[in-house]
Amino acid sequence: MENFHIDGSTYIPRIDFNAETGVLEIEGESYHEYTTEFFGPIFSWLEDYLEESGKEITMNFKMSYFNTSSSRRFLEILTLLEEYQNNKEGKVVVNWYYEENDVDMLESGEEYADDVELTFNLLPY
Amino acid sequence: MGYMEHFSVKTFKQQLAMKKISLAFQGIFSQDVLALIGKSLRNTPESRVIAKRLFAIVIEMAQNIHHYSAEKQYSEKDGRDIGVGIVAIAEDDHHYIITSGNCIVKTEVPPLIERANYINGLSPEKLKEFYREQRKAPQREGKPGANLGFIDMVRKSGNPIEINIKEYDETRSFFILSVRVNKELQN
Repeated sequence: MENFHIDGSTYIPRIDFNAETGVLEIEGESYHEYTTEFFGPIFSWLEDYLEESGKEITMNFKMSYFNTSSSRRFLEILTLLEEYQNNKEGKVVVNWYYEENDVDMLESGEEYADDVELTFNLLPY
Repeated sequence: MGYMEHFSVKTFKQQLAMKKISLAFQGIFSQDVLALIGKSLRNTPESRVIAKRLFAIVIEMAQNIHHYSAEKQYSEKDGRDIGVGIVAIAEDDHHYIITSGNCIVKTEVPPLIERANYINGLSPEKLKEFYREQRKAPQREGKPGANLGFIDMVRKSGNPIEINIKEYDETRSFFILSVRVNKELQN
């Protein structure tokens, strides 16, 4: 399976999903006006990737800003991973990076950690 | 009549200075405009967290205009109709005041006011719960937004949102939304 990559820009995050290592990374800023359009190919790739059971996955979020519409898409990604862990013998670890002192980004991470049942690390950088 | 009599940039600039308006944009809220506003807010002198909160609120307002303004213009670059409106940031000694204005269809006014009142009345804990509950709810049919904008504005600012409705034309009202952000980080 091919890896998935999108270069980041001002309003779209860098996406790096590595099918071999199982490390999935989203980094930067996310405030595309139409997140369903932007995230569409990302979800297609994820659905293919999660077909096969038993994978070990590390999901890294390293965001400096995301809008409310992206925040919905992130929850959808996390829910997909949660289902994968529960139903397909997957092992998922989420690393939520936040800039030190960014209390809002830390709180966002805490909320996601409460919303899904996944191993969640909150990591300052 | 000379151009200068028609419109005085100097007077306009003085008016902006008097009201301490540091940023104002009027027009179509395309993705490029948002990116530009984002860059300019990086230079906010207060902490990074405050700068990010200002940015977050401006983006939510701008995206409301983009999607829901009842006055639209076609953008060649984006290949679709984009909402027109205005966003401005003013300040006093202790706050930034972010305001947006755009046309909306009259029938949309009461539900928006009702939603704002409901959100303004919630405690910080309830607000957080409501945010998470709404985020889990399915995406609304035909609406690109997350239905979280108002909640996010109140959470980020720590203050209620204010709505003002002005007459516009027969079918539309002018919708003004204001939020105050404290310059000092409070927790």
